[in-house]
Amino acid sequence: MSEWEPKIAAFLCNWCSYGAADLAGVSRLQYPPNIRVIRIPCTGRMSPKFILSAFRNGADGVWVSG
Amino acid sequence: MITFKLNGKEVQGEEGQYILQVAEKYGVEIPTMCHHKALEPAGMCRLCTVEMFDGRRSRFVTACNYPIWEGMQIFTDTEEVHKGRKLIVEMLLARCPEVPMLQDLAKKYGIEKSRFKAEDDDCILCGLCVRMCQRMGNNAIELTGRGIEMVVDTPFHVQTDFCVACGACASVCPTGHITLEKINQNVTSRKNVRKIPSEYDMGLKGRKPIFVPYAQAVPNTPAIDRDTCMHFKTGGCKVCTEFCGVNAIKHDMEDEILELDVGSIILATGFEPFDPSKFDNYGYAKHPNVVTAMEFERILSASGPTMGHLVRSSDHKEPKKIAWFQCVGSRDINRCDNAHCSSVCCMYAIKESIIAKEHSGDDLDCAVFYMDIRTHGKDFERYYERAKTQGVRFVRSRVHTINPVPETDDLEVRYVLDSGELVKETFDMIVLSIGLQTPPELIQLANDLNIDLTTGNFCKTDTFSPVQTSREGIFVCGAFQGPKDIPQSVVDSSAAASAAGEMLSPARNTLTKIKEVVPEVNVIGERPRIGVFVCNCGINIGGVVNVPGVRDYAKTLPYVEYVTDNMYTCSQDTQEVMKDIITKNRLNRIVVAACSPKTHEPLFRETLADTGLNKYLFEMTNIRNQNSWVHKNNPDIATQKAKDLVRMAVTKVALKEPLPEAELSIGQTAMVIGGGITGMSTALSFARQGYETHLIENTDRLGGNALTLYKTWKGENIQEKLKGLIDQVSREENLKIHLNTTLASVEGFVGNFKSTLASQGKEDVIEYGVAVIATGASEFKPVEYMYGKDPRIVTSQELDRKLIGNDPVLNSLNTAVFIQCVGSREPERPYCSRVCCTHSVDSALELKRRNPGMNVYILNRDIRTYGERETLYKEAREAGIIFIRFTRENKPVVAIEDGVVKVKVTDHILGMPLEIETDLVNLASAVIPPRDEKLAQFFKVPLNDDGFFVERHAKLGPSEFATDGVFLAGLAHYPKPIDESIAQGMAAASRAVTLLAQKTIHTNGEIAKVNPALCSSCGVCISICPYKAPSFIPDDARFFPGKAEINPALCKGCGLCVASCRSGAIGLKGFDNDQIFAMIEAI
Amino acid sequence: MDFMGIERDRLHLSWISSAEATKFIDVVGEVTAAIKALGPNTNFVKNKAKAA
Repeated sequence: MSEWEPKIAAFLCNWCSYGAADLAGVSRLQYPPNIRVIRIPCTGRMSPKFILSAFRNGADGVWVSG
Repeated sequence: MITFKLNGKEVQGEEGQYILQVAEKYGVEIPTMCHHKALEPAGMCRLCTVEMFDGRRSRFVTACNYPIWEGMQIFTDTEEVHKGRKLIVEMLLARCPEVPMLQDLAKKYGIEKSRFKAEDDDCILCGLCVRMCQRMGNNAIELTGRGIEMVVDTPFHVQTDFCVACGACASVCPTGHITLEKINQNVTSRKNVRKIPSEYDMGLKGRKPIFVPYAQAVPNTPAIDRDTCMHFKTGGCKVCTEFCGVNAIKHDMEDEILELDVGSIILATGFEPFDPSKFDNYGYAKHPNVVTAMEFERILSASGPTMGHLVRSSDHKEPKKIAWFQCVGSRDINRCDNAHCSSVCCMYAIKESIIAKEHSGDDLDCAVFYMDIRTHGKDFERYYERAKTQGVRFVRSRVHTINPVPETDDLEVRYVLDSGELVKETFDMIVLSIGLQTPPELIQLANDLNIDLTTGNFCKTDTFSPVQTSREGIFVCGAFQGPKDIPQSVVDSSAAASAAGEMLSPARNTLTKIKEVVPEVNVIGERPRIGVFVCNCGINIGGVVNVPGVRDYAKTLPYVEYVTDNMYTCSQDTQEVMKDIITKNRLNRIVVAACSPKTHEPLFRETLADTGLNKYLFEMTNIRNQNSWVHKNNPDIATQKAKDLVRMAVTKVALKEPLPEAELSIGQTAMVIGGGITGMSTALSFARQGYETHLIENTDRLGGNALTLYKTWKGENIQEKLKGLIDQVSREENLKIHLNTTLASVEGFVGNFKSTLASQGKEDVIEYGVAVIATGASEFKPVEYMYGKDPRIVTSQELDRKLIGNDPVLNSLNTAVFIQCVGSREPERPYCSRVCCTHSVDSALELKRRNPGMNVYILNRDIRTYGERETLYKEAREAGIIFIRFTRENKPVVAIEDGVVKVKVTDHILGMPLEIETDLVNLASAVIPPRDEKLAQFFKVPLNDDGFFVERHAKLGPSEFATDGVFLAGLAHYPKPIDESIAQGMAAASRAVTLLAQKTIHTNGEIAKVNPALCSSCGVCISICPYKAPSFIPDDARFFPGKAEINPALCKGCGLCVASCRSGAIGLKGFDNDQIFAMIEAI
Repeated sequence: MDFMGIERDRLHLSWISSAEATKFIDVVGEVTAAIKALGPNTNFVKNKAKAA
């Protein structure tokens, strides 16, 4: 790859942001392909451990969205 | 089958196929220009030239139209081939130097400038248009002339009727030589080639003859529009059949007439938006920047014609000033025949103005021109106030004319303020808030069905049976019953289902089929055997992501035993294939990489269950909505992302365990709390559908607020009707009435509630499956306008009592003043009480009828006689009732001077203070809820700031709570008139019956579970859970007393407790720590 | 985050309703841009050689 592209772990709430992500698809809105979505049932499920683990496993960024 | 060599590799093709077709099948790319899959190849452009070795010598042939034969050898990538193609491009570029497609191609072949003499043509004579025209069955154009004289033209240069202006030629022209505009100008002087307007986008965008109405349409299958499809015009075309991979298109399908035997009919036929083009003064048809509110909705929508960018139609400029005109096609009998208020336009205009500001920033100037702002729905008044603070201007004026500003696309309006001042203002865009009306075909349907309509052409119903048409067995809901918004339509629809259910309850379950349950296979302890199914979704995924690549990659992942890709993984036949594959390969974990689990997970889970696999041994990853669709221009990266996503899913699924679902039986008894009109309607609906019902009332008689109401606005006598309703309730066998009774306790959960009823010192325990809260509200006792100081100052219900009792005082009145919004629309109670305007107008008319010479004033802030109640307002004005407006800052003052009641108010037109001596002051007092926190606590349901209960969903779940098994109706939800209360009572029963009728339900398997050995009994989970699912195991229990446990019936699987548990004792099945960590590790 | 030696800006939180597709893509853009600006994450990453 010529230019470095970050890998971002995205923890998306099943009911909110995951739905928005689906809708973005339906609307064919284009966005950067760097996020890797992990669907969680609710942002309440988030634990700081997940965030640290993501960094530990080489994610360049973490995005939590409810 | 013919075998030959392609670039040295042995390949096979069918007899009669051309080289290009076989090459395509094997993924060998050959450039083309004059080729189209659906048309016979012509070999015109020669760009597809390849080298063929026939055993003795090499020569060049065109791949598109050279048939394959046994033993031939084809080379597509030799230097000679490239040289030849380069020469072709160079010559074409000389002919058409300005055509972008050729310029791109030239760049690809490294040609900077053609060595040949440049001409200025833009047709490469590929003949696609001619062949397409033939295919359409028209033969209107031909390649005419010979040699250098050859052009595309009509025979003998004569225009004939052979051209039907379909535009197919333009759709395939690669150079832009033929465009719709040119056809319109030169070829078809008498016909017009036009885009087909998309119905969904209100004609702001075009669509094809084959189309999916909109992205979220259900079923999401394209349909052919016979009126625009060429095949149905000429018998030709059928190009689509060549592209459909699964041969789904059948042009010979015919409409079928089905005869159904039904027990009842529900009319949910809706409305049509008013067409403003008949109003010349607004120039909707002339000015592109005058749009309807429906069009504006599409402009704001991300999936709309402008992709959510707020730009005006004429020049795609971002508007700086937008105006909304209210009541276009509503409250207007001069220019159209719609006397009614459409009920929804005020709110949607406010919403559009706020969203417009969100899109374009706060400096966008939004002005709403209105007569009365009618925000009478739940939380609507707050929204209106919010719009004001966000700078939306509300101008009380009806604008007469829109004039275009010469030489711009702007629009000038002139309007008169209350003060008489004339204002001129220019806007970039004007939105017409068009009303709702019944379309003519629906009026025809009503005639055919022999049901009565109102004068406004809505379906006629009775206040006490709001969804019953004039014909037995036919019910109505939604905007055909009267103009209304989404929540009210949803309430109506449930009510109509309930009404039909009451009639048909003996037939319940007689036509249902029971699905066979496949016994579950035990996979615990087995090594994971994962099957990965990658979906192409036609070209939705396959067109961007290299699906075979992802499939092959998945094969390399640990534990993956089987991989495949499907054209449509969700299709019915694929489900059968999947089942076969799962069984044959003994797969025990499945991954589907396709669209969204939100839409398709249930389907695949069912497929798993059909093979005996536990349905939770499944993971879906989203490579369409969140990948191929959003990274269209990056196929390589999208493919890489798809691989990553599949890897994450595979890693997670390997750790998934089969999860049990608890089966809960649903107690077949209902409890209704509140014995007013709403509660009685609910209870009656339950009882008539065959369910044992308890009706709880805390006073000594049924009837609630209705006991003090006189007449409905339609003129029905409430006391008579109420007596009839109480009679029906008392006679109903399945219905037990508990008077003087309160709820002392509530235990349990959906399907299994248990309550202690306290009644005059006695206690009684009942068990029930569902509960409906219909506890009502009451009239606010005013604290202003001298209320309580004089018997002549009364509230609306007090006046009704006098009317019911025929109080002689009423006969001696000379003047009456009604004051609106007493306690409503105030900072401490920022909601509209919805019923008071209609009530006051109705009472005022009643007084006027009793004593026509009387002076009646209604002092108001806005008159909110929504729907067909507007006709009552009109009647009141015609009867000489005087309406005077005041503001919250400048309220009327009531004084008693020398025994005379005087009301002082500033007249809104004259701006002068006015003093009215009156014999009666009616205070239209607010509806206030009891704020029953105890009841809310009992059922774990929320109350809002105003003290009303909060429903599951403001729009889509108005009659139920987020807590399963508990429902809501009547004034406890929000102030509403009798017809709406009854409809909601029936709706609550309807929603509850959908649970009761199942008899048993399955809980979700993906829920939290406590490991009691680790639990420290800290209680954080119990306090944090919004659904009250965790609790401590009783101290006297045999196992783990004092530890937390989670009730699977209440747990919604949100994971809040899991994240908050300090001891790490709680896990969330299906989303457990190890599973999420595994996904993280696989990123 | 600071405690762990990871740049604060690598973690983003947001709230988006299921209807806000446009907001979703805006936030994706912002998050990606912010993280791109920080460059690859080097701190706290599991040392693969050691782990093996």
